[in-house]
Amino acid sequence: MPTQHGGKIRVLPGFKLTLGYTLLYLSLIVVIPLAATFAKSTELSWAQFSHTISSPQAMAAYRLSFGASFFAAVINALFGSIVAWVLVRYEFSGKRFMDALVDLPFALPTAVAGITLATLYAPNGWIGRWLAPLGIQVSYTRLGIFVALTFIGLPFVVRTVQPVLADMDPEIEEAAASLGANRWQTIWRIVLPALSPALLTGFALAFARALGEYGSVVFISSNIPMKTQIVPLLIMSELDSFEYAKATALAVVMLVVSFALLLTINLLQWWSNRHNATEFA
Amino acid sequence: MTDEEKINAPRRMTEPPFMRRLLIFTALAFIGLFLVIPLVSVFAEAFRQGVGYYFHTLRDPYTVNAIELTLIAAGISVPLNCLFGVCAAWTIAKFDFPGKSILLTLIDLPFSISPVISGLIYVLVFGAQGWFGPWLLPHHIHIIFAVPGIVLATIFVTFPFVARELIPLMQAQGRTEEEAARVLGASGWQTFWRVTLPNIKWGLLYGVILCNARAMGEFGAVSVVSGHIQGKTNTIPLHVQILYEGNDFTGAFAVASLLTFLALVTLVLKSWIEFKHVGIGGIFPLPIVSNRDKQT
Amino acid sequence: MSVEVKNITKKFGNFAALDHVNLKVESGELVALLGPSGSGKTTLLRVIAGLEFPDSKDSQVLFYGEDVTKIPASQRKAGFAFQHYALFRHLSVFENIAFGLRVRPKALRPPESKIRERVGELLKLIQLEPFGKRYPAQLSGGQRQRVALARALAVEPKVLLLDEPFGALDAKVRKELRRWLRKLHQEIHITTLFVTHDQEEALEVADRVAILRDGQIEQIGTPEEIYDHPASPFVYDFLGNVNLFSGRVHEGAVEIGESKFHVPETAGETESDAVAFVRPHDVRITREANGQKTFPARVVRCNAAGPVANLDLERLDGRGQFSAQLSKEEFQQLQPKVGEQVFVELKNVKIFSEDFSI
Repeated sequence: MPTQHGGKIRVLPGFKLTLGYTLLYLSLIVVIPLAATFAKSTELSWAQFSHTISSPQAMAAYRLSFGASFFAAVINALFGSIVAWVLVRYEFSGKRFMDALVDLPFALPTAVAGITLATLYAPNGWIGRWLAPLGIQVSYTRLGIFVALTFIGLPFVVRTVQPVLADMDPEIEEAAASLGANRWQTIWRIVLPALSPALLTGFALAFARALGEYGSVVFISSNIPMKTQIVPLLIMSELDSFEYAKATALAVVMLVVSFALLLTINLLQWWSNRHNATEFA
Repeated sequence: MTDEEKINAPRRMTEPPFMRRLLIFTALAFIGLFLVIPLVSVFAEAFRQGVGYYFHTLRDPYTVNAIELTLIAAGISVPLNCLFGVCAAWTIAKFDFPGKSILLTLIDLPFSISPVISGLIYVLVFGAQGWFGPWLLPHHIHIIFAVPGIVLATIFVTFPFVARELIPLMQAQGRTEEEAARVLGASGWQTFWRVTLPNIKWGLLYGVILCNARAMGEFGAVSVVSGHIQGKTNTIPLHVQILYEGNDFTGAFAVASLLTFLALVTLVLKSWIEFKHVGIGGIFPLPIVSNRDKQT
Repeated sequence: MSVEVKNITKKFGNFAALDHVNLKVESGELVALLGPSGSGKTTLLRVIAGLEFPDSKDSQVLFYGEDVTKIPASQRKAGFAFQHYALFRHLSVFENIAFGLRVRPKALRPPESKIRERVGELLKLIQLEPFGKRYPAQLSGGQRQRVALARALAVEPKVLLLDEPFGALDAKVRKELRRWLRKLHQEIHITTLFVTHDQEEALEVADRVAILRDGQIEQIGTPEEIYDHPASPFVYDFLGNVNLFSGRVHEGAVEIGESKFHVPETAGETESDAVAFVRPHDVRITREANGQKTFPARVVRCNAAGPVANLDLERLDGRGQFSAQLSKEEFQQLQPKVGEQVFVELKNVKIFSEDFSI
């Protein structure tokens, strides 16, 4: 029986138990290992640390990782919006199938995606054989990395834009039309601004996912330092040569970037929720 | 346009037919190129050398071992993350306390971390050069490059799945049904088993399905902590890599087809739950914005 | 005394939802907690149910003299009907009602046959006998509310607590259910507290009404008492429409312009500025002036739709508009036209000497 006054008595039971377990499990699985990573990176002196994270090989890897992830996210933002639009607004045969299939990159293990894309885009592959005569080589090049990152980021924009588009009040578009806007103006000036927080969230999620991707890229890329080596592959190769301190230093850089992206996504989501809420207020 | 067509015109404003067709075609082409062709090609490659070779590969002892290890890793990580998810959702959705949004962010964290780093952090804790390495080694406790490391890495990468499925669901359901049960004399366990659990069971199943798919398919994190020893520390995705890099492409795709089949089953189950229970969903990490229950 | 709360204080952050509230409810009484949103009425109900706990150490909740302040909700035996019913959506109507009996410890749990019998009685009481197998989603709002009531009654509670019992229903169902609740209370005579923000509902249904404002009980009494003798401008305003006339209190009367209206309560007070409160139905309209008993006004708007006629008028001295309510007969006799000048007589003028703010 509760014996104390005030906020310490709770109607529903189990607060201490569930919060305690949540914090314990979270600490053991997530917080302590992450802390270990940051602690390990302090074993390097600042000079060593900065030398590791700004080596030419690392700089090339950052450029490739950020560049390929950015372009993949841009492509996904563009085509993902079209897919979301088509799924919400139009009726056509195979729509349900297409809707379900959008999540394939989430469900398909990255290693499978990697070997499949590498095979498809190889010069003798189903797709690669049509590109080879044009002088376009995809597998084992930077273009291949871009293709893999586009694949794994595909669902994000679709799945963030889709619900917002579905919830959008048709009266808003009707109001714009009744005020004399043509269809293009309505979409450009009314629909797109309303979608933009969700679109940006989807973009940021796809970008963040691409930045950390390893499994699919390892197969489609030739992993040549300075040329086709993304940051996770660089970390992996440092680990393979037992350079734990170097791997950790690079991991810390990536973690900081991840946290920054997570923060950005949180802010975008908060903005998006507020944006949508005001429509109903 | 005839009168009938005018009446039957869609209520929503729309684009000219040409534009509609162009957009649908673009979407189908994009999905076809990036999703359908790869999906079909997995199975085509898997059977390239005939059904006989396909089953020969699947019956190979190393393949069987990899399947066993994957089942073990998923069999441990899914229930543990399930228990965690229920606890976290209960504490976050049913109670108010400071620091909730920090907790939500921490739960989301594993989603935003590269799989390679997810493996690395355990190497830094339990590896030979890690925090506990010097203690573990003389005691002959092997975590890294052994099965426990694979399980830990799998737990980490699938950590948020159930929790983030249940938290928004339980927040949306509020606490009045539980309060009603309490006022009617139900104990804490009775409230949970008889009221909360029936309300969240589909969300829980949804989370478990997604968690399981990722647990069985994880590659990067497991790759870091695994010793890559065939028959010992090889999971299905790692086995795919070994076959592929050993130039047994058909074998690699045969094993990969198992994982692809799992992915398809996951998608079917997921769509089925979404179809049956509108309102459940959210397959990926959208941050949960904490909304406190309003009181008058 | 079946329910008594003493000195209840409850804060949410810096917001004082309840501020030293005291309330006594007699056995078998039906009491309404009336107030605007944020006045603390729901919080008070939840404190009584054990769903919230008071902050201060000297706060007490007593059921039939027994201190239940520290007893958790699950053992308090208070029946609580939630504003949005909180029916268990995965359970049938029958199982919803049976829930409180089924979760009792084995030793106290009635046998299955008893449970069926009890639920059957309750289904009959709420007139939903054929609906036992349905699920909450298959019921209308009014039916859900009755199931919520039956579920609360199934455990034979010591008190019944209803949070905005009619709040989520449309106007017609509200009225029916109100009457039904009154009838039900006469049949089973259980001590009942209900929360409402609708003054009409409180005045019609309750034996006594407690009016809350900013976490405090502003006034408590029978519906007649509080309607006829409101303790404050707030209560007066909350219970119905009101006209304000600024004037001066002088020798037991209030002077509004040239005219004078008798207000016996103010006798003996010194001359001062005051605001007179008059209900629209206490505004009389005539064609003839009657010395100091009337003042002139112009008709701005007439609306005779409905059982009564509503008039908006403007004082000729330019000191504001007010409204009057006339019966249909009065309206037809008078036949006022917009723009026309009439004379106004005020009855039941009320003066509050403290603050005029509402």
